[in-house]
Amino acid sequence: MKVINILLVEDDHLDALDIKRTLDKMKVIYKLEIAKNGEEAIKLLESKEASMPLPDAVLIDINMPRLNGLEFLSIIRNSEVWKDLKCFIITTSEEEVDKTAAEKLGVSGYIIKPLKLNNPSSMDVFNLMIDLMNMKVD
Amino acid sequence: MRENAEFLSISSDVVRESNQFQRNILYMERALKGYMLTGEEYLLQTYHSASIQNNTLLNELTASIHFNSTQLKKINEIKRLYNEWIEQFAKPIMASKPDTSASYQTTLKPQQLLKGEEKINIALQQQFRELLNVEYASREKKRIIMDKNEQKTKVISVILTVFSIVTGFIIAVLLARHISRRISKMVKMSNSIAEGNYKVNVEDKGNDELSELTRSLNRMAEMLEETISLLQRKNKELDQFAYIVSHDLKAPLRGIDNLISWVQEDYANQLPSGVQEYLDLVKGRVTRSENLIQGILTYARVGKEVKEHEEIKLTALIDEILENLPVKQGIHINVQKDMPVIYSEKIPLMQIFTNLISNAIKYHNKEKGEIKVYSKEQKNNYEFFVEDDGPGIASSHQKKIFMIFQTLQDRDSFESTGVGLAIVKKILDDRKEQIKILSEPGKGSVFSFTWSKI
Repeated sequence: MKVINILLVEDDHLDALDIKRTLDKMKVIYKLEIAKNGEEAIKLLESKEASMPLPDAVLIDINMPRLNGLEFLSIIRNSEVWKDLKCFIITTSEEEVDKTAAEKLGVSGYIIKPLKLNNPSSMDVFNLMIDLMNMKVD
Repeated sequence: MRENAEFLSISSDVVRESNQFQRNILYMERALKGYMLTGEEYLLQTYHSASIQNNTLLNELTASIHFNSTQLKKINEIKRLYNEWIEQFAKPIMASKPDTSASYQTTLKPQQLLKGEEKINIALQQQFRELLNVEYASREKKRIIMDKNEQKTKVISVILTVFSIVTGFIIAVLLARHISRRISKMVKMSNSIAEGNYKVNVEDKGNDELSELTRSLNRMAEMLEETISLLQRKNKELDQFAYIVSHDLKAPLRGIDNLISWVQEDYANQLPSGVQEYLDLVKGRVTRSENLIQGILTYARVGKEVKEHEEIKLTALIDEILENLPVKQGIHINVQKDMPVIYSEKIPLMQIFTNLISNAIKYHNKEKGEIKVYSKEQKNNYEFFVEDDGPGIASSHQKKIFMIFQTLQDRDSFESTGVGLAIVKKILDDRKEQIKILSEPGKGSVFSFTWSKI
């Protein structure tokens, strides 16, 4: 079974734990790397370029110090190497401004934290799950 | 005028003196005749006093008339005749010691004497008549002139009066217009201030009390403008502060909530029942805190959203609200069938109705109850009502309920943040609308609010 490589850009430890726990519950087989902000994430990606394959999915929080999620995403989309990465926003922000900005930057999903698997109204989580499952099938 | 008046007074003096003079001659004549008949000397006393008076009168007449030579001539003639009368009749009569029997006839012949006297007397009277006629004639002339003058004076004074009334009126109208123009400028200005536009200024470069008033109005507008904009800035800051604080408080709370959920989900079987119970209590308090923070956030957001107008079918709007509210057994909600269709802001209206109706349901304390939602159309606005037959609110509490975080029930028996009505009030205050409450403990409450048609 294919292992999904996930890059999580998240500054809150608890939120990272939440995502990890959800992935475990979904029975996704994954390899998770965590960057604490956009800058760290870029460094991590740069280090991968040479040897390792790029992540299958990038989960990005918006509110982070130094380089926030949207700024990070815009760097990704303007880069030759990383522009096709599959990106998801996972944030507490329900602001329309953030949603439209993320959409313009071509995200695959906009997910509101906290993730609640047992809450059927949380369609975004459901979509994320389907997306990640599909990756697994590939 | 004064000349004429003087003339009249002199002339009437002349007439009076002349008459007095003639009367005196009459007295003298009578006295003489009496003396002639009786020889009683005391009768001559009248004669003497009249004669003294006549001398004075003659002097006065001469003095009064000295400027008129023809009249003066007549006076002189009168003097002459009078002297002649005295010399020829009076003096001889007095000189003779009258004797009733003889002497009279011998020395004097009374018949002759009296005839001569009468002649002179007639001549005197003639002179006086002429004198007085001249006086009367010239007085008449003067009187006509005076009448004419008076007429003229009347005309002139009427013209003057009319002229001054007209001038006064014109000045008054001009002044009034000038003043009212300035005052109406100020009225316009204060109206504009009353409507909330403080950036107004009236120019008046005058130097009177009105200009003073204008200047102080301008100063007042400036002060108001400064104060209001400061107040608005502070309010904005406060809202911003409330927003940021509550937003940042939400994150750790959410973390606590997550952790408790994880403990409950992942270690459910390993937890003693007491711990489960405590965790539930913690969760309850976390939820309450989250609700409070959400309340502050919503409260701080009121007035921030863009005001978009759209067509609102109120019946549909309220149906939508009711679908999302929890159903309570025995409580029937009765919405007026023909609620209006209006063109207004949907979200604030929805917030108001949601809060009012959900309160009515939540606090209803009887087995059966009815909540009525209805409207009344007025000229410029609608009045909407949410009426319940629940517990009602004592009048001492009625003001309190619109303040943020005020609840009338303890929070443990009623999960309530005390923000709902504060939000309703803030939305309505923002739009200068009114909310009223009519309530009696035990009978129920009617909340009503106005909503502008535009």
